[in-house]
Amino acid sequence: MSSLSQSFIQERFADYYKENSLSIMPPSSLKRREFGFLLLEKKVMLRHQSFLDAERLRAALFNVVPSDVYYSSAYYERPEEDMRNKGWLGADLVFDIDADHFPTPCPTVHDFWVCTGCGASGKGQHPQKCSSCGGTKFKEKSWPCETCLAAAKAELIKLVDVLMEDFGFSSKVLTVAFSGHRGYHVHVESELVWELDSLARKEIVDYVMGIGLEAEFHGLGRSLSLDRMLAGPDLNDRGWRGRVAKGTYDFLSAASEEDLMKTGLKPQQIKPLLAYSDEIMESWDTKGPWGVVKGISPETWKTIAQYGVEKQSVKIDTVVTPDINRLIRLSNSLHGKTGLKKVELPITGIEDFDPLKTAVAFKSGEVNVHVSEAPQFRMEDETFGPFKRQKIELPTAAAMMLLCKGVAKVVQ
Amino acid sequence: MNKSIVEVKQVLTAYDRAKYPFMKEAAEHVRGIGIEFNELEQDSEFYRPFLDRAEKRVENALRDVSSYAKIKPANEMSDGEKEIETFSFPLAVMLTVGTEDSFIKSRFALAEAKRASALLKGEEKETLLHVANNFDWNVEDFGLEPYVFAVSFPVFLKTATGFHDKRWKLVNQKMVDGKVYLTKQKASRLLEEEVRKYVESRLDTKIKYLPPSIMARVMRLRQLAAEKQEQIKREEMPDRVVMEAFPTCIKGVYERVSAGRPASHIGRFALTSFMLNIGMSEEDVFKFFRSVSDFNERMTRYQVEHIGGTRGSGTKYTPPNCSTLRTHGICISPEPECNGAVNPLVCYKRKLEKLPEESPNEEK
Repeated sequence: MSSLSQSFIQERFADYYKENSLSIMPPSSLKRREFGFLLLEKKVMLRHQSFLDAERLRAALFNVVPSDVYYSSAYYERPEEDMRNKGWLGADLVFDIDADHFPTPCPTVHDFWVCTGCGASGKGQHPQKCSSCGGTKFKEKSWPCETCLAAAKAELIKLVDVLMEDFGFSSKVLTVAFSGHRGYHVHVESELVWELDSLARKEIVDYVMGIGLEAEFHGLGRSLSLDRMLAGPDLNDRGWRGRVAKGTYDFLSAASEEDLMKTGLKPQQIKPLLAYSDEIMESWDTKGPWGVVKGISPETWKTIAQYGVEKQSVKIDTVVTPDINRLIRLSNSLHGKTGLKKVELPITGIEDFDPLKTAVAFKSGEVNVHVSEAPQFRMEDETFGPFKRQKIELPTAAAMMLLCKGVAKVVQ
Repeated sequence: MNKSIVEVKQVLTAYDRAKYPFMKEAAEHVRGIGIEFNELEQDSEFYRPFLDRAEKRVENALRDVSSYAKIKPANEMSDGEKEIETFSFPLAVMLTVGTEDSFIKSRFALAEAKRASALLKGEEKETLLHVANNFDWNVEDFGLEPYVFAVSFPVFLKTATGFHDKRWKLVNQKMVDGKVYLTKQKASRLLEEEVRKYVESRLDTKIKYLPPSIMARVMRLRQLAAEKQEQIKREEMPDRVVMEAFPTCIKGVYERVSAGRPASHIGRFALTSFMLNIGMSEEDVFKFFRSVSDFNERMTRYQVEHIGGTRGSGTKYTPPNCSTLRTHGICISPEPECNGAVNPLVCYKRKLEKLPEESPNEEK
């Protein structure tokens, strides 16, 4: 990055932390948290910071001007010490939903890679080896595009449902936030979860994602009633039992012959599923489709239910939640890859939340930039790009996005 | 939810105390009556039956955990006998602590836990509730068959993550509003772990002084434990198996399993395949598992035979490679002999070669 662009970003970030100082709200139990600052110039992390009060935290942000600010989900006796001597007291339960962790239809549209060896670039996921120089190291650029963000939001809605319905967390202990890039964070602050170890948190990950779920533990199996051989979960059931039913319903109501083939079912099993699709759909009003069609074995139903589980599974980052020392981005701080801020949103307002509007941090002024390459993107109500090797004047927020992504330079 | 709160039992009967002497109320009962240390010292006529029973408890735990668990105190016991049952528990704890022997401690804790669990399976719902709340599970009765009650998910996870079985995965439970629904079977199994951990915590201490008469009992128990351990080694480990040469990773799992503690699936797999590969027969390995802990006989036999290759695919499995054992946290402290080894069998062979010639096991 050119030094001009770098100092431009640095100045804007400094302005932000000066003008919006009061919007920086410290996390609960501030004194027990470790802070980490990613430094703009060197991209190194300044770890083991701790603050006595909000004032000192705000002053540090203004003085250091980090590209990213994180704090620990954990509470420590001595947060400023190195990991061994911190004295772990407990940790909040955190979830990260990031569009990088599940397939979306659009990465070939907006994601691209650059070979760090020779500078060759391409769209979508990087190859194993660079075709020009044979290098194996690549920089990847992903974008906070609308489709990806909508997909992340859909996962967020599922996650909040599981956390409230199954885990019984009230909205008071849940904080939901847009990360400032391509996803959402959910933070559970409840005494109930403080002491959970990493293994227990891994079990929570598996629960949320439906990993290791076997439908027979949720009621799919031999029926005790005389009218049919099989019994299974009902759409009105709560917990995973109901989700297995809902997922199976979703899967069967939308599955084409091709989809069914993909499940590994044999043609003679698929035939009755298609032939009796009306009967199967109607059966949801009573006892569900389990065993309603002759010729479909309990094993086949288990396979189908597994596809239902997949539909209901919440795609979270599996590494974040079990990590009991995780650093998480601070709300209302800036994201170094976008210049957007991390913003909290009300649980009742997830559907209507527009991240590309609410998270905009730089609302005034224009900047002249030279863009090497960028896909089309939206910022507030305006759409920009696509750009390829061109000079253009952009509103600060849009320019910051491109500068932070490293695909543009400030020109005078 | 249709909650019908049944009146929860407030006071344990003398019979309940005899069955569940680890309960707070039983401990208070014992404290209320008091044991005179001076009189214990004399091993007086009065205390002898209590001490005899206490010693018997530990002795039986050492001899055979599964039969220990099967003996149910009879309701027809006299009041005196019930008191002996109750009072002998803290005395047995004292004797076990006195031995300062970790093998005796784990066996005793395991045996008491198994006994409680076996008793609980035959109890009415209200007794299970009572025992559960003794461990601060904070559960209430509700009328939802086939479940006895629901426990908050952190309480469930605290114990169930140690079980390594799909039936115990959180995702395979019925969970609503943060509560995991438990059948009598599952509740008893979880409580068993609570009892084991509780008894182990009671044993995790030292006694500075014990009167000679009590020390005599302690010494007898130590002697028995040494014999029992020797017996396990002798009967279950054929002569050609040299335990001293076990790599630390395998030894770690071995010690865990020997003490009757749950081991991860991969840990058990590593141990089983290791033993089968160093010359133990399937029968030897099977006998080893039977001797050391409670276990599901059919399941263990199946697994041993599966790994040994007489069942299933017909291939005999080798232990997982070191890299896999590292990933799963089984390889904790590599030794010099591990250098460059890819499999624990390599390390075993190297250690075997380094052993002194006069090793009795080597001569045979």
